[in-house]
Formats: sequence, C-alpha cells, structure tokens
Amino acid sequence: MSERFVVLRNREIADLDRLDVYREHGGYAQFERSVRDLGPADVTGIVKAANLRGRGGAGFPTGLKWSFVPANDKPKYIVVNNDESEPGTFKDHEITLHNPHQFIEGALIAAYAIGAGAVYIYCRGEFWQEMSHLERCIEAARGAGLIGKNLFGSDFSCDVFVTPGAGAYICGEETALLNSLEGELGQPRLKPPFPAIEGLYASPTVVNNTETLANVPWILEHGADAYRAIGTEASPGTKVISVSGHVERPGNYEVPLGTPFAEVLALAGGVWRGRSLKALLPAGASAPVIPGDVAMTMNCDWESVAGLGSILGSASFIVMDETTDMVDVAARTTRFFEHESCGKCSPCREGTFWLNGIYGRIMRGEGRPGDVEVISDVVAQIDGTCFCPLGEFALSAPRSTILHFGDEYAAHIGTKNGGAPK
Amino acid sequence: MTSASGKSDVTLTIDGVVVSVPAGTNVVDAAHVIDVEVPIFCHHPRLEPVGMCRMCLVEVGTPSVDRATGEVQRDEGGQPIIRFFPKLQAGCTTQVSEGMVVRTATPDVGDARRSVLEFLLTSHPLDCPVCDKGGECPLQNLTMRYGPGTSRFSLGEKYHFPKPVPVGPLIALDRERCVQCARCIRFQDEVADDHVLGFENRGRGMEIVSFSDPPFDSYFSGNTSDICPVGALTTNDFRFRGRVWELESVPGICEHCPVGCNVSNDTRNGEILRVMPDRNEAVNEIWLCDKGRFAHHLPSEAERFTSPLIRRDGVLVPATWHEALGLVAERLRGIAAADGRDAIGGIAGDGLCNEDLYLFGRFMRAVIGTNNVDHRPGIVRDDVIARAGVGAQTRPTEIGLGTAIVVVGLDVEEEAPILFLNLFKALGNGARIIVVGGQPQKIDRHAEASLRYRHDTAERVLAVLLSQVLGRLDEVVGGTSPIGEALEEARSALRAALSGYDAAVLEGEHPVHAVDLESAARVIAEAEHVMVFYGREAEALGLVPALGALVAATGRAGGPYDGLVAVGPHANSQGAADMGLLPDMLPGYRRIDSRQAHDDLIAAGWPAVCATGSGLGAAAMLEPESGIRALLVLGTDPIGDDPGREAAARALQLLVVTDLAPTATTRIADVILPAAALAEREGTLTNMFRRVQRTQASVPAPGDARPDWWIVAELARRMGVAEAYGGPEDVIAEIARAIPSYSGIDYAALGSAKASRPSDPFLPFAPETESRKVSYEGTRYDLRASEGVVWGTDSSSAEERLLPLLAWRPRTVSVDAGSAEGPVPGRMSLVPVTRLYDAGAATSRSPVLKPLIPRPYVEMSPFDAAARGLPEGTRVTVRGLRGFLNAEVRLVDGLTPGVVLAPRSLAWDLPPDALTEDGATADVIVERAMSTVTEPDRQSSLNPALDVVPDETIGNAAADQASELAAGRANQSDHPGEGL
Repeated sequence: MSERFVVLRNREIADLDRLDVYREHGGYAQFERSVRDLGPADVTGIVKAANLRGRGGAGFPTGLKWSFVPANDKPKYIVVNNDESEPGTFKDHEITLHNPHQFIEGALIAAYAIGAGAVYIYCRGEFWQEMSHLERCIEAARGAGLIGKNLFGSDFSCDVFVTPGAGAYICGEETALLNSLEGELGQPRLKPPFPAIEGLYASPTVVNNTETLANVPWILEHGADAYRAIGTEASPGTKVISVSGHVERPGNYEVPLGTPFAEVLALAGGVWRGRSLKALLPAGASAPVIPGDVAMTMNCDWESVAGLGSILGSASFIVMDETTDMVDVAARTTRFFEHESCGKCSPCREGTFWLNGIYGRIMRGEGRPGDVEVISDVVAQIDGTCFCPLGEFALSAPRSTILHFGDEYAAHIGTKNGGAPK
Repeated sequence: MTSASGKSDVTLTIDGVVVSVPAGTNVVDAAHVIDVEVPIFCHHPRLEPVGMCRMCLVEVGTPSVDRATGEVQRDEGGQPIIRFFPKLQAGCTTQVSEGMVVRTATPDVGDARRSVLEFLLTSHPLDCPVCDKGGECPLQNLTMRYGPGTSRFSLGEKYHFPKPVPVGPLIALDRERCVQCARCIRFQDEVADDHVLGFENRGRGMEIVSFSDPPFDSYFSGNTSDICPVGALTTNDFRFRGRVWELESVPGICEHCPVGCNVSNDTRNGEILRVMPDRNEAVNEIWLCDKGRFAHHLPSEAERFTSPLIRRDGVLVPATWHEALGLVAERLRGIAAADGRDAIGGIAGDGLCNEDLYLFGRFMRAVIGTNNVDHRPGIVRDDVIARAGVGAQTRPTEIGLGTAIVVVGLDVEEEAPILFLNLFKALGNGARIIVVGGQPQKIDRHAEASLRYRHDTAERVLAVLLSQVLGRLDEVVGGTSPIGEALEEARSALRAALSGYDAAVLEGEHPVHAVDLESAARVIAEAEHVMVFYGREAEALGLVPALGALVAATGRAGGPYDGLVAVGPHANSQGAADMGLLPDMLPGYRRIDSRQAHDDLIAAGWPAVCATGSGLGAAAMLEPESGIRALLVLGTDPIGDDPGREAAARALQLLVVTDLAPTATTRIADVILPAAALAEREGTLTNMFRRVQRTQASVPAPGDARPDWWIVAELARRMGVAEAYGGPEDVIAEIARAIPSYSGIDYAALGSAKASRPSDPFLPFAPETESRKVSYEGTRYDLRASEGVVWGTDSSSAEERLLPLLAWRPRTVSVDAGSAEGPVPGRMSLVPVTRLYDAGAATSRSPVLKPLIPRPYVEMSPFDAAARGLPEGTRVTVRGLRGFLNAEVRLVDGLTPGVVLAPRSLAWDLPPDALTEDGATADVIVERAMSTVTEPDRQSSLNPALDVVPDETIGNAAADQASELAAGRANQSDHPGEGL
C-alpha cells in the first residue's frame, strides 16, 4: 500500500529508540551539522522552505513560528507539546516509545534555530512509563555529548527536561500548557502576547508538537525539496494518522498528506465485520462528524477536510459503522468536554455543563420535546463567545450529529428506553 | 494630543460617537467615558483584564489598511473602510486603536449578552430574597437589563453546595452564587500582595479556595466582598444583618490608623451595620483594611458614659453638665489660685478631631494660662514635618518611577495597612523600596535592601547610610544640586562630622551587610524623589533628627514626592501636633516665645496667650514630683497604658477625664465627662500626609454624651471666657485664622464632592455615569466627599527650613563603645511593636475580629529560643526593671538575636510599653514561666526596690540575673555613648 515512513521510521528499523541504533541510521547528524555548519537562520530557512506545518492540529507553518522569536536578551525556550490528549490520538505515544531520539533531535535543532538554552518536553500525565523511557533516552544523549554545555565545541548549550502534565485536556492548548508547566492552574492565557514573545516564564517560547519536531531531522537530511515532493502543495510531508473505532486493524498509519481516506481505511483493514461506514470523526472528539459517504470522497490533508466542513486536526480518525448511535456519540463527546472544560470562561463552563445535562437526560430516556432546539440554541450561544477554541470544539459533535442524523434524536426523545437503534 | 495621564490619546468611534481616550485604554472603559455601558463581571478597572466572563462582547472593526502602501483604504465617499472581526470581541481585553469602530447596540451583541447571562444563571440559585448582595448586585442589575426573562435550564440539574462555607475567618463563600470571575483572587494577587486565594478543580466544579494557613490570611479580605459582582463573598460581620436599601450611608473617616481612609458608615435605626470604603483617589482609592471595616462596633449603651459623673465620697454619681462643668471650673480656679496656673495640666489623645484638640490647647494656654499641654501617644514632637514633610502635591496613590521609598522604624502593613497598598502599587509603577528597621516585615520581600539595626544604637546605621548617600551623590550622580551657600556650608560640616561612619562602624554591632548599605545608598542617591516614612519606633529610638538631616542634605525635603511622612499611631497624630498640643510649641509649630505668634493668635480670637516657658510633656505631668495638682485628660488612657503612673494620678487633687466608656484612667477620675464617639460627631482629622479630611456624624450619641470640642468650649465659658462656637465649622474657621498652613481650609467644601476633584477625567471610575452604577454597584465608585486638603510645608526659604535639620549629629561617636563590657549574659532587648489586630477596645468589640486577637505573646529568634530551651508556645516570663510580662513564645525567622518583640495592646497584665522608660526598648530577661508563680501584686512588681524575686519560685540563678541586669543598666548610664 502507500505508507511512507518519515516519522515512524521505527516501523522499518528495529530498536530505533536505542541511541546507538538511531545514530547508526544518521541520528543526531543533522543536529551536529546544524550547530557546526549552519547558522540558526539557515535552519529556520530550510524548515520554512519545506513548508512544514504543525502536526498538533492547527497546521500552522513551523518555520514561520520559529521566525517570530525576537532577538532579545531574554532566555528562550522550546516546549514540546507531548500532551496528546485528543480522544483517539496515539501517534505521539508511539513516537515517544519507539522513535524518541528523532523528535528530541528535532527539538534540539529547533532550540539551536531560536537560540533556546532549554527544551521542556511536556508529557501527558498518564505517560509515566513513556516519561521514564524518555528520561533514559535523554540521559543517553547527554552521555554522548548531544545534550549539555558547549555542544560540538560550539558556544551553543542546551538542556532537555521532561515534565508531566496533570491530566487536563486543555493543557494541550499551548498557553494553558505553559501555565501548567509553570505550576499554575491549567487555563489558557490571554493572547497577545503570543508565546513567541512572552511564553514560558515570560520569555520567548516556541511550542511544537512531538510529531512536528520528528519531521525536522528528516527535512535537514533530505532537503526541503525532497520533503515537498511528499504530500500536496499546501500540505507537504506525511501525516501519522491514528485510526480507531470500527476497523479491522486500528493503529497508526503514516501516509503522505493528501492520501485518500479510502486508502487509509483500507490500510486499517476496512470497516470491521463487513459492515458499512456510517460516519467518521476525523480529529477525535473535536471535529464535526462526516457522514460515511462524504468521508469516502475525502483526502487526508487540511484543505480537503476543511472543504467538507470538518477539520483534520491531529488526524485521529474514529471510524463508526452502521450500528453506531450518533446521539450517543454526541452525548459521549459532550460529557468529555464538560469534564474537560477548564472553567475559565462562562460559555464553555456553563454551556457544556448544560449540554451534558440534556444529553444525559436523553440517553436515560427522559428526553423532552424541544430538547433538540435547546441544544441547538446553547450551541449557537457558545459559538463565537469563548475565550479559547476548546469551547467551540465542544459544539462539533452536537451540531454535526443534529445536522446529519437529526432523525436519531427524534427517535431517542420519542421513546422511553433511550432509543438506541437496534 | 495627550491626556492628563501623559499617554497619547487614541480616537475611536463607539456607537457612532467619536471619543478620545489614552492609548492602552480598553473598550469597556472607553465606552464609559461617553456613558455607554458595556456590561462586565470579571473586568475591574483596578485589576488586570482577564476576559473570562465574556459579558463584554462587542463588535469591533478597524480601518482596513493596504498591505503594500500601509495606507488606510477608503470608500468612494472618502470614509475609511472598516473591517470587522468575524467574531465578537471581549471589550475588556481589547485595547483601543486609532480609527477603531465599536458597536455595542447590535442584535448580535444583545444575543451574546443574553446568552452569557443565561449561562451564568444556569448555575445561580436565584436566591436574591435572602442574598445580602440583593439591591446592589451587578448580576441582578445586568439580568434585569440584558438577561432573558425566564430560564430554560432544568431546575433539577442545578449544582448544589452547602452554603455558605468559610474562606477565612471573616469571609464566607456561597459557591452556588459564584460566577468564577476571579476578581477576589486577582485583588489578593495584584492589589493586596497576599497570594492566598486560588481556583481549585476545573469546569463547573471550579471553586474559590484559600490555600494559606491560617485561611484567607490577609488584612484586606473584606474588599473581595465589595468587588464580588454577585453575592458569593459575604462578610461574617454583615451577612443577614440588613437589606442594603434600608441603610443610610454617611461619609466618614476611619479612626484606626493615620492613613485616614474614607469610609461609608451604613446605618439603620441609629446603629452602624457595616462600614464600606468610600472612594478617595488620594488616600485609599476604593479599598479598606479589615480592621477599618469590621472594628466599627461602639460600646453598648450600658457600657457607655451617658451623663457626667462626679465622685462623691469615693462613689461616682451622675450629674448634669451644669453641675459637673461648674464643679470642674470652680476646682480649677481654686487650684490655680492656690498653686499657680502651672499646677494644672492637660493631655489629649491623638485620635480626637482637630477641633477638639485646637480648642483644648487654646483652653490650656489662653484660659488656664499654662503650657502644660501635650498629646499622646503621638509621633510628631516638633516642626520637622513642617520643615521637611513631603510636598502638598504628593499623592500616595501615585508614587511612581524614580522614587526611592525609605521605610524606617515602621511596620508598614501592621501600622498603616492601606499605606502598604499604596507602596505596593508604587512598586508596580517603578518605585524602589529601602527598609531600615529592627524586625522583619511583609514589605521586606520587595525591598532593594533591608537594613536591620540593633535598636539601642540604630542611629549609627542611619549615620553610615547618610554618609554613603552623600558620597554617592558626589561620585555617581555628579554632585548634589546647588542649594545655596549657607546650606552648602552646613552640609559640608555634616559630611565632615560623618566622616569615619563607614560600614566598618557597624561591624559586629548591627546585622547590616555592607552590600545592602551600598545598594540602599545607591538607590537613594540615584532616585529622582526620596520619600521617607517613619513610624512610632523610629520616633521612640530618636531617629527622626537623622531622617530630617537625610532629606535636607540630599535636597529631598518639601517637594512633591520628596520628604518625610510621620506614620503615627492614631488617626490624628499629625493633626494633634499641628493644633499645638505640644508643651513647647503653639499651633502651627510656632515658638511659644514668638511675639508675632502671640499677636496672631490674639487676632484670631484668643483672649490671651500664656507667656511662661515650656510646659511639661504628657509623661512628665504624671511623674510623682511634677507639681501638677489638676489634670484634664481628653480621650486617652495614660494610666491604662502605663499603670506605673497610677500613684501619681491618685495623688492629684483633681483628675477630669472625657471618654466613651470606662478605662483605667476614668476609674480613678474625680469627674468623668461623657464624650461622643467619632461616628457620633463631625469634625476634621489630618492624616499622615497632612491631608485634612472631614468626617460626619452617622449615628446619634447616647444620652448626654457630647463631642470633646463642645465640652472644652463649655468649660471655657464657665471659666469666664464665653465663646460662641455654634459647631465645628466655627472652630475650624478659627483654626484657619490661627494656623497659617490651615488658612485655606473651608469646612463646607471639605464635605462636598464638588470640591478638590481630581483633574484627570479619565481616572478609572471618574465619570459618575449611570452606566457605571449598573456594573459596579456594591463598590463605592461615586465621590461623596472632597478629597480633602493638604496643608503645605513651611513656605519660607529652603535655607530657613533646612538649616536647623543639618545641624544634626549622631549621638554615638565612639566606634567601639559598648563592646568593651560585653552584654550581660542572657539579657535581651524588649521592643514593643504595633500589630493591626490588638486587644484594644475597638477590635475587642468586633464579634468577627475578637477571635483573631492572639493571647499575649512575644516573638524571639529561633536562635535565642533554642539557647534558652524555649520551644514555640512555651509560657515565659519577660522580666525587666519596671515589671514583668507573662506570654507565650513565638519563633520568628529572621528576627535579630537578642531582640524580643512584644505586641502592644494585647491582654497583658502590664503593657509592654510600661516596661520601657521611653516607649523604645527595655533590657529584659526571658525565662520559662514557673507554674507556681502566682499573679504578683502589680505595685510591687513595678517598684525595682520591691522587685525581690522569691527564691522558691524562680530560684537563685534568676534572682542573680535580675540583679546583674540592674547592674548592667547602672553601668550603662555611665556611658552616654551606649543606649538611649
């Protein structure tokens, strides 16, 4: 099939998490070359030319983000967003366990590019095993002179630290992550100032996703042109897609961006038990659902998914077969967002709480006529009024399920048993 | 164009109205200028914006700019093309920009407001009928104005919590009502510098918690209840006590410290139910400390003196004013005739109003004819403030960049809490702080340098500091500013006298680091302005002349933000001295022998001015052989503060006391005259910045109680000097004639909000618009009295003012004095200190503050305590030559070894000040209290001759120590270089 390993090179090389193996396969050579032979601006230039886009969800150009960091006297930081909290996303988990050096190298290259003296890897709190693995890898790299003072005889020094999160979805949002990293309450910050100007400890900071940084050594090794040859014009490179749900072989699949969804579904063995595709959540809980027939026309890049009224996000595909209760899907995602709302702004805090109450009632078979209208109103009232994007993520499932599967709501509310389709 | 705030102005259009506001203003505040309301919950003009509640969403557009040319794009009509943000923007976090267009009256904005209110109300219990905020509640107001009429939220799905729960000892939280705006958290962080509140949990489960121990550990907690936009935070003092619309609010001045916070006494049926801060941008802004807020309970009528009392055959019997005043007048005449006028003395408290104090001084000097008149405890003893006080233009709320704040012998937060807020704000504006003191305090954490002195020779630290400052001024800054020949000469002489005062002088004697001295000197020398705040301890230690020399020698005296501020113990400590209640000075700090001053006072209406020399001070009048036969005591309790004076007081032929309720002094009085409390009368008070402010009567005085000025005037009438004072306005009018610096004071104007208004119309809250009322109700944003008037320092030439100050020389010249003998083993230095929550009458009567008053305790360094085997909490006896104290030990890190602190006004058997000779320090021995020690006879404990320690109770060693202590003390007096 059409898998292409830029990030998940561990699929082709055994024991790539071992430093010696990683170095045998060119590991840390690009970091060394950067420090020895390239200027920071050259590195940023190459990443810019490759048009690497952020893999955390927003798809923001990485090189551009690096270039926002001002040249001032403040210390600078690279923060790796390894929080991976989106339901259905497990790509950074595999990278962390099986190809950790590649993103550590990417982070060190980024640190060199912006002049950062420290890299913080902010890990999802549940990654406690992964974190101790990371610590061992970092220790090995430090022992090999790849992390520390005056690297490769230059005046560039950089250290790498691993920090656990405390189990909050919102801490995947970069400013909430920075608050959490500082030991503050995990709530998003007012922007501006943007992290590139005032981030961690009020100093210029770049926050990049783990997968994003794992692309960097490859780009430096093979060049921007080779990278752009993969994927589409607007979305170059590969994407690790976490496929879960009603498929035969759930797992991570790394494909060039722009790969048709049908091919990804096929890689995962297709919809399980010979059933048909009812709907797809292309970006975990935060994306609007795409009806199955529409999903089959979709290509896996940011532009194509956006054209279908959804988002690619971090590309966590939750596949749902014909038996799926779409009201239950909305109820579960709503419960997730109610649980994860940080509480900072009123519409998200109160609105998700309200929505969750209504969905709970409907799922208990206590739905009332007019509930769908109230849901739609509450959704409209949250839309566009929140402090950060999370509030609007919470609206995707209710809104899209009402839009595409409104009759299922009618069935639920009209019955006493919760109305799940049999 | 720039505004008064100095920032350039930005012009924008709000709902079609063009308005110019300073750059950096946010849309919410800009809209208020034209009385357009952008409703808010989390926003507060005194706090940093956070954008949490989303109530202030508005449509915002900015002129479309051609990317290539940078030019604003225009339509065919030449109007700028405005590009609106696709989403509504939060007005509180959106700063204005040139050409911005804001729309607040569109359907989308209306929908957003209704949406946010509906969301907030889903969690709200709607218990307005039993909510104390009801009637002044922004949530209630905004719901009525913008909210949905009905709720679609299912009642059964509401969150429920037990209500209310304590956040701290004074404030309770109703979590059902909380809208999670974080104003309370932000106030504590940004204004109070007490980082004790935070959010716990997240989402709908998020709640306010205090993570300090003890909880909500802050002197400013009550303010969170004011700024809470809902009824979530209520005070234990007012909760369920009354409905706000039943209250009558009367503007007043807080009586508890020298800051002079403006308050609103909210009364019902002649009783104060709560005290709220009133806004005064030059004093307390909109804040009040918890003592000012909660210690408002007057003694009950049963405790009060409600009629004059005359002692007949040892028993006090009620009398009419006619009888009592007639008796006093007759006795005074008799004593004057028999023993002379100087056998009569007068002592007044520094918490009384200017009118009381002025008339009392006038009575003593013009009617009795003696200079035996003084105030107590006080802090201003001479004219140093008149010469070198900060300029009248100084606003403590606007201290900023370039100012060095020097705090000397003063615990800022404990002694003047709102001054702490002023200084913390100043820090944020770029001011720098130097602390010179004997013990740790909260503001230390912000100090560039903290110079810790040993109390007995503290002046040396200032001598070394001044010497280094003068050196710095020459080296670094390129010389001091030209000040005229005579001053230059005096300054050179001072510098010469200070030569040799380098850091080495302090070595081994003071825990001062040379590097801190250097940085303190640098900060002071480099500052554009220098403000020196000194407290009661600095005065008691005799440091004030050194501070006068510091500001005089650096040319930082008397200008805006330059000079001294005396932070006294009471609300009118400054005014008491201004009014001439000093044995050697007339009103306005004029010399008692000045012919001109006498003529001026006669012209102002005085019948005469006594021509004798300096009178006796308050302490001297109560010495056994003072020669005083009759004493008038106004509103102060000298015997309670020093029971050692009781014998002398009992020996008086006549003791007349005015007060509210029984004290140690009234207990032995011959005549007691019932006085009105501050809240029961009107008058003026002068705060530590010399700001004269008017306070009004908010509740009636019980029975026959009268203001002190009336009592004094009536007594004068019976002494044959009839004066027609119809009220305090007549007295202040005479004060304005008699005291040149008070000449501009206009009593009527002081009570009017129209007078002395801030000139900058863009101060947050300034326009008293309807729009602000709705959003900020519950906070007293409106100006209800004037800002007060600050009297100017001496207008004579700098030379005249400052030359005498430069004559100061350090008393201790011998570098190694004191070290030769070495300290008496085990001897410590007892230092009385002021703490906000004392066991004084006001605090004790507050049901909510009373539990916070600690039992008597002393503080020691862990080092000293360990050396004596005294763990935290041990009962100890602190034994000095004049008596002893029983207390619990508390250990304080950072306290200088050898120092033991005793907070004044706890429930002591003997006040700590009474152990000291002069209110400064006392040599003491601290030892574990023996369980067999019984309450000793106070008389014997005060008499060193009788202070024989029984062997069976504390043993020979302790007795030896006591005699050693006496010996050490005796030795000391042979060496004037040592001690005070």
